[in-house]
Amino acid sequence: MGDFGESLGRVGYAELGPVLSACGREGFTGRLLVSGTPGGVFHLRDGLVVAAESPGAPGAVALLLRSGRLTGEQWAELVREAGGAPWPAAALTAHGHAGAAQLRVICVMALHDAAFAVAAGPVEDCERAPAGEPLAPVPVGEPPTRMLQDAARKLTALAALPHPVRPDRERPVPADGPPVPVTGLQRELLGRADGRRTARDLAFLTGRGVYAVTVEVARMLGDGLLCCPGTPAPIPVRVPERVPGVSRRRSAARPAPPPGPITVPDSLPRRTPGASGITEALTPERHGASWKGFFRLRNGSAR
Amino acid sequence: MDHEALALEMRGLREQVPGITDTAVAAADGLLIAADTADSIDPESLAALAAAGLGLARRTADATARGVLRQTVTYGSHGCAAFYAVGDTALMVVLGDEGMDVDRLHRATQPALRRIDSILTEKAPEGV
Repeated sequence: MGDFGESLGRVGYAELGPVLSACGREGFTGRLLVSGTPGGVFHLRDGLVVAAESPGAPGAVALLLRSGRLTGEQWAELVREAGGAPWPAAALTAHGHAGAAQLRVICVMALHDAAFAVAAGPVEDCERAPAGEPLAPVPVGEPPTRMLQDAARKLTALAALPHPVRPDRERPVPADGPPVPVTGLQRELLGRADGRRTARDLAFLTGRGVYAVTVEVARMLGDGLLCCPGTPAPIPVRVPERVPGVSRRRSAARPAPPPGPITVPDSLPRRTPGASGITEALTPERHGASWKGFFRLRNGSAR
Repeated sequence: MDHEALALEMRGLREQVPGITDTAVAAADGLLIAADTADSIDPESLAALAAAGLGLARRTADATARGVLRQTVTYGSHGCAAFYAVGDTALMVVLGDEGMDVDRLHRATQPALRRIDSILTEKAPEGV
């Protein structure tokens, strides 16, 4: 975690700065596709950013649905009512799920949060593309330089914390210790931090901004409420006794024996008592090996 | 089978694609082999569902002349579940939240599927 401050210059912020400034200067209209981890898309109109989407930050829809403001069924109904529009703003306000101003705030929050997420991770490439349909655009666009300054301010604030974390790196667990009074958000994070989830994952799960959750996780690490286990829990691997595909493949790989010449016996075969060995096979097993040992011998694997 | 290599592949995929929450590998008939899943998920049931889902999708692709099945993806309001066939012997399940870029997942999964297939079939000649 100590490399956070040093590596700040290497994360997306440094790459994005010149590209986004150029888009603003030229009054670019279209999309800026940012490949990286998590990467994302900036939608620009006349040089202003009207929407930003990133796998690293919950979008406006996730913020609405995950926060429990409305259910998946209600959402599906609103989208149907709006003729399939991905962001049924008019229907949302008409049904009283949220006010118009609230929706604008959610969209602005989602935009800034996505910009933070893109800037906090490595950026491989930026590519301009024709205008697309942003999911939840803001009515008044944001100058790209101001948006990026906001992201930089957040990154600096995060790096200044005693236990800084990356939104998509550390996977904390609740620390052992005496119970202490915690806030609602902290209780929620303690209940969901399982050593598998990053701050980004927890933000999606709780329907909150990734910056807010990352800062809270960093503070909780500092306060000893959370800790980061050194090694992740091992993944148990079991081999089923009989993997059907594997046995199919094995039998398919072995060529069938060439057909031998057909011999016609002079007389009908006579059965010799005990020749099939069925009497031995039906008796209870005397020891663990039996036919399994035979298999091991044939296949040459002693495990 | 190299257990460590399989676990590394599963964990590597989760690190590579933001939004992956759980992964599991099972035999083609739905018998679980390995699960990197949260406690809230029952991996045995998930493996069985994936086997049934892939079987149904394969028959649908066949009956409707859609060619070779690539994968099935179930979309929900809180994310998606993708089922991939691993060769003709096994299958892989990837669960993701609503932020996961599914196109990116498909791109990242293809080389991983090939490697997982070779890990699973590596020991076949010696018997499993």
